[in-house]
Amino acid sequence: MFGMEDRAPSDGTAASILHADLDAFYVSVERLKRPDLVGKPVAVGGGVIVSASYEARAYGVNAPMGIRQARELCPRLIVVGGSFEDYIELSDRVFEICRTYTPFIEQISIDEAFLDVAGAGHLFGPAPTIAASIRADVQAETGLPISIGIARTKFLAKVASQAAKPDGLLVVDPAHELEFLHPLPVRAIWGVGVKTAELLKEMGIDTVAELAAAKPGWLESRLGPAAGAHLHDLAWNRDRRHVERHRGAGSVGAQRAFGGDVKDRAKHRAILMAIADRVGSRLRKKQRAGRTITARVRFNDLQSVTRSTTLRAPVASTEALYRVADHLVETALAEASEGRGLSLLGISVSKLVHSPHLQLELPLLDRRTVRADVEDVWRSGSAAALARDRLDEAIDELRSKFGKSAVAAASALGSGRSLVPDQFGDLAIPVAERRTE
Amino acid sequence: MRIRAERDDLADVLARAARAVGTRSPQQILQGLLCDVRGNRLEVTGTDSDVTIRTTLEVEVLEAGRTVVPAKLAAEAVRKLPVGAVTLSAEEGEVEITGNGPRFRLREFVVNDFPDIPDTIEAPLVEVDGEAFVAALAQVGVAASGDDARPTLTGILFEAHDDGLRLVATDSYRLALRDLPGIAAGETSLVPYRALREIGRTIADAKLGVQLDDRQAAFSSARGRMTARVIEATFPNYRQLLPDEYPNRLSVSKAALLDAVGRAALVAEEHIPVRLSLSESGVELSVTRQEVGEETEHIEAAYSGEEMTIAFNTRYLTDGVGAVAGDEVVLETIDPLKPGMLSGGSDGFQYLLMPVRL
Repeated sequence: MFGMEDRAPSDGTAASILHADLDAFYVSVERLKRPDLVGKPVAVGGGVIVSASYEARAYGVNAPMGIRQARELCPRLIVVGGSFEDYIELSDRVFEICRTYTPFIEQISIDEAFLDVAGAGHLFGPAPTIAASIRADVQAETGLPISIGIARTKFLAKVASQAAKPDGLLVVDPAHELEFLHPLPVRAIWGVGVKTAELLKEMGIDTVAELAAAKPGWLESRLGPAAGAHLHDLAWNRDRRHVERHRGAGSVGAQRAFGGDVKDRAKHRAILMAIADRVGSRLRKKQRAGRTITARVRFNDLQSVTRSTTLRAPVASTEALYRVADHLVETALAEASEGRGLSLLGISVSKLVHSPHLQLELPLLDRRTVRADVEDVWRSGSAAALARDRLDEAIDELRSKFGKSAVAAASALGSGRSLVPDQFGDLAIPVAERRTE
Repeated sequence: MRIRAERDDLADVLARAARAVGTRSPQQILQGLLCDVRGNRLEVTGTDSDVTIRTTLEVEVLEAGRTVVPAKLAAEAVRKLPVGAVTLSAEEGEVEITGNGPRFRLREFVVNDFPDIPDTIEAPLVEVDGEAFVAALAQVGVAASGDDARPTLTGILFEAHDDGLRLVATDSYRLALRDLPGIAAGETSLVPYRALREIGRTIADAKLGVQLDDRQAAFSSARGRMTARVIEATFPNYRQLLPDEYPNRLSVSKAALLDAVGRAALVAEEHIPVRLSLSESGVELSVTRQEVGEETEHIEAAYSGEEMTIAFNTRYLTDGVGAVAGDEVVLETIDPLKPGMLSGGSDGFQYLLMPVRL
């Protein structure tokens, strides 16, 4: 990996960017386990719907919708809980398959990723051939349907994959991009949500063509300078973003959203411990350890901040992750205005290395320094660190024998239930947001 | 300025001073060598502002004066001329290097931009055996860190111990220490190993003068002088790291162990350790790498203590064993998670190495 560029090779002239998106991913996984669910309206969720099958969507059931409302729309709806470990494992397998075709892969969530195959042509053929092979491989090896859009830009590839669904493949020829794009409703644009669409409708803009024809200055005055210019660019398929592979491939993260607004630091810590536990056990399962720890904090007013630090040595221990993340959250809170509550916490670990063996360190630290406490968290070789590692190993082993819920830190047990099952919070984390530094 | 000298002599003084010149200096003038001609001598100075090397050569002086020449280019140009006398001159912004036909005309750097490096130190000069001192620096230097993010660990500590000088370096995974009895220690100083490493290749001679104060370290010989800015930080309290005693002791042939670890390293990657199983019959080395294979071998050795298996990073182990003087290496251990100590018996060298947890 060293010495290779992180930037993808596509020069933006040929359709060589793929957007691969697993169809109704959670539902598809549940159907692998229960074939009797095939063809029926199915939703995965707890208190709210997290994913709905296409049959359920036909009734108007969509995420995120309350279960009760969904049942009113579709009385025959079958709601199943989540098989979280399976989702993670299958997602990993799918994108490992993608990675055999190109190293330039940017996973943006558990079920979708961008791939740049500009440099893979001599090995695997043109982009449509590669996409067809990936779809066949994924189907054969996991049984999951995956749709792929191919275009010259990331933006258009994503639009294409949505148009290709379900279980389809769509190539947008560079010579006919606008013919494909302009007739679409503005909602087809990645980033145009319900609110923006409503605002655009008020402005008399329903289609991408109308957006493209609008004066940029007018759009900027109504939508804000950044959003206005950005949407206008996208309407003309002007998108210079590259596929950035280091994001998805090199990080492991989890986050948890909790309803309302939590100010109690003890609760924050309990939640962080549960997240650290999740991230740590995933790292250890993959035999990885990471040097950069990023903590993500969302305040009750939806403003999000991230703080990160890069350690001297890679860590995978739950306690080390927890202590470093807590320190980062503390920093973020200290910089925020007094008394703001939180609605989300997350931890991600990047700069990953393969680490089945741990080189121990000499205890060089000067105990008198203020930071000794924090520093010692990641010194491998101290009695405390070794004890933590043994504890992690014991927990990992218990869980592999008796299941995930066999053990948990006492502080994490009482961290409360939220409307969305906690594990969905992890899965929903957009990998693109797990940015380092 | 204008001088004449033998090609090999001139190439030598230029190349040695150029070793202080950094490859990525932000200041262009630091890519140059100051050539100062006075009396019958040429004095060449190269610096990266932390480390400065000055070399001198007796030359035929045609005209005294000063110039700054592009370091690497001038040194290489002289070296590549035909054998024989070489003329180096500077005039009106141009440096000319000629000898037996070829002629280089290079742009001269602005002489007055060259920094004025203070290289006088008030501290007393201690004279040491140059060869032995350079060897001791190399022995200890293997444990110095190359990570500039941790500057404290990139130096070698000079401090008084008993009635001699002690050199210590650590990168936090291993610690090397060498006692040099009978050498008066100056002020306790932390000298960048990056500079010390160059002594052997630049100014080392049979006799070497050492001076240390709280800002600079200076090393001088008949071949030149090096000064280095010391690292202004407190070296970790290393004494607390040295275990009082070790219950287990292995004594093994240095050559046999080095060869064996070298073979094991073929299979190991950087992060895969070599396992040493210690027992009365000697030491069994093994390394296993998933999807590649394994290597095992047995070396006869004298061992006293409990049977145990301890694992080390192959490179760190090679560095330590290689640095031990003498034919026998002693490895002392406590348990698989505590540091092991490598030594060679009586030369005052100790190498403390943290194991890899299996």
